[in-house]
Amino acid sequence: MRIYLAEHTIGSFAFDESGNLLDYVLNPKELGKVVDILINTEKGEPMPSTVELIQKLKPTEVVIESETESAKMQSLGIKVVSKPHHVGAKVLRSSLAEIAVKAKFAEDPKDIYSFLYQVTLEYTRRKLRKAAQKRDLLAIQAIRAIDDIDKTINLFSERLREWYSIHFPEADKLVEDHDQYAKIVSNIGYRDAVTVEALTEIGLNEQKAKKLADAAKKSIGADISDADINSIRDLANTILSLFRLRASLYDYLDSIMREVSPNVTELVGPTLGARLLSLAGSLEELSKMPASTIQVLGAEKALFRALKSGSRPPKHGIIFQYPAIHVSPRWQRGKIARALAAKLAIASRIDAYSGRFVGTQLVEQVNKRIEEIKTKYAQPPPKKQQPPREEGKKDRREHKKGKKGKRR
Amino acid sequence: MSESIETVKETGMENIYECIYVDGTVRLCTKNLAKGFTVYGERTVNYNGVEYREWNAFRSKLAGAILKGLKENPVKKGSKVLYLGAASGTTPSHISDIVEDEGKVYGVEFSPRVVRELILVAQHRHNLFPILADARFPQSYSSLVEDAEVLYVDIAQPDQTDIAIYNARYFLKEGGHLLLAIKARSIDVTKDPTEVFKTEAEKLKNEGFDVQQVINLNPYDKDHAMVLARFK
Ligand SMILES: C[S@@+](CC[C@H](N)C(=O)[O-])C[C@H]1O[C@@H](n2cnc3c(N)ncnc32)[C@H](O)[C@@H]1O
Repeated sequence: MRIYLAEHTIGSFAFDESGNLLDYVLNPKELGKVVDILINTEKGEPMPSTVELIQKLKPTEVVIESETESAKMQSLGIKVVSKPHHVGAKVLRSSLAEIAVKAKFAEDPKDIYSFLYQVTLEYTRRKLRKAAQKRDLLAIQAIRAIDDIDKTINLFSERLREWYSIHFPEADKLVEDHDQYAKIVSNIGYRDAVTVEALTEIGLNEQKAKKLADAAKKSIGADISDADINSIRDLANTILSLFRLRASLYDYLDSIMREVSPNVTELVGPTLGARLLSLAGSLEELSKMPASTIQVLGAEKALFRALKSGSRPPKHGIIFQYPAIHVSPRWQRGKIARALAAKLAIASRIDAYSGRFVGTQLVEQVNKRIEEIKTKYAQPPPKKQQPPREEGKKDRREHKKGKKGKRR
Repeated sequence: MSESIETVKETGMENIYECIYVDGTVRLCTKNLAKGFTVYGERTVNYNGVEYREWNAFRSKLAGAILKGLKENPVKKGSKVLYLGAASGTTPSHISDIVEDEGKVYGVEFSPRVVRELILVAQHRHNLFPILADARFPQSYSSLVEDAEVLYVDIAQPDQTDIAIYNARYFLKEGGHLLLAIKARSIDVTKDPTEVFKTEAEKLKNEGFDVQQVINLNPYDKDHAMVLARFK
């Protein structure tokens, strides 16, 4: 029997010479695995699904498209002919979505295309990674720039609030979001123009808009001139453009991080991932760190203090920003941090040395471990007898707390 | 921006519009599929709650071809397009707007530097698939793409017509269309551009294409032509 064999992301498909589908073997529907398979076929390695299909059908002759693969396939002991765009390949590629659904690789066309989209992005990023030089350093600068922008936005927003409060003091308390506040000043300006319609157009909800419009009517603020409001507005516009800059930098960071460090990014997202790189100095440095160091990265001060005074070491550094850690009760945090740091150590090593994508599995494993921690340690541990503390240490703690109460 | 816009009108081509400004200027535009994001610094316009992106004919050869009299645009809502030479995504982004979510744009590009920008564009467009590969080796991306109604080729290579034909055999549907941008200088600097266009069109005819239009892109692109041809 002669078969026309066509390979695709979705699997391997055998057709007869009139283009009727004889049989097929699907590829695993897993991002990392499929991308590995695709990269290997370029090096002349037939897909595992192809090998399986051939063993299943035992054909006397196989027609394939790729010449590079024919050598390896010949070694399976069958006659192989390479013929680009043969009948089977044309059938597969002209009704791809339909075949994918029929073969139960995907639930519907939308499903297959969203998988294909992700595969394509990961495949292309993986190929880019080979040409990547010091791109982790670009990511580090990008996250530092984002952090600078955040600080600047806070600083300018505090100023804007004080300034605009001369005219409309009630707005400060009623609008907590800096972005929204700056929009009000920029788009509306004068207190008299603060109406429910104007506010909802900016994106405030009805209830909040009513409250604010009401406050505007009864405001005890001073009257100001066009020149006054224009200067205030200039500052508001600068803040808004900083917000836009931040959004586009975030976009850029996301892209770069998925390229240089896809597994770390999948685990903790581009921002926290880049902060880890930034604290370590580079991807290579991060990949050399033991999990216990990654766990407290960014808490060096507390760590040294602990070492010096013999008090308890910190349970987490920057990875405290990971949502599952900071939303969990205090006694679970250290355990979750340890589990996450262990996976981060694996992820950063793979990113630095092989670039394979195993992010999905790592995320699954971390989530499973977190579930375990949540059920096993649902109750707070019984209070231990605390050793008496020296005065000095306590003081330092109080001091730090006071500093943190600042508004963001 | 919206104050200076007078109206947005449909053109004879699906999902392609004209923005007419108060001062009388008219520009091609497409409905932005990635609301709030621009690609190459193009101007956006809000009209009746819809965001449009201006389509600059000096930056995009397809827009140039439309303004220079393309009779029928094969790129429609729902079209699958294989795009060779996607670069940083200028034209692909507008094609992505036109085909909308039902359509797909497979963008092949071999320069890593520009592919990074293409990825940034694709992050907000789930119908745009950025593929880092060499268009000379269709086999290297055949497992990622599917057959298309439109093959768009803009790779500025001396043998680009052959590359286009080769890819058409792989991926172009019967009756599908080829849009081939020809840069005369990259094929033969010594020959008169019109001569070059003729020879390339002749090649297509010999390979089973029905050449429907050869459009000179002057003044949008000097010494460039866009060829529209039907396969088989
Ligand atoms: C004139 S630019 C394309 C501009 C783009 N079509 C647009 O309008 O937005 C040509 C592109 O083709 C790419 N290119 C040239 N040869 C190629 C090949 N063999 N395979 C893939 N891309 C190629 C170049 O890297 C370059 O980015």
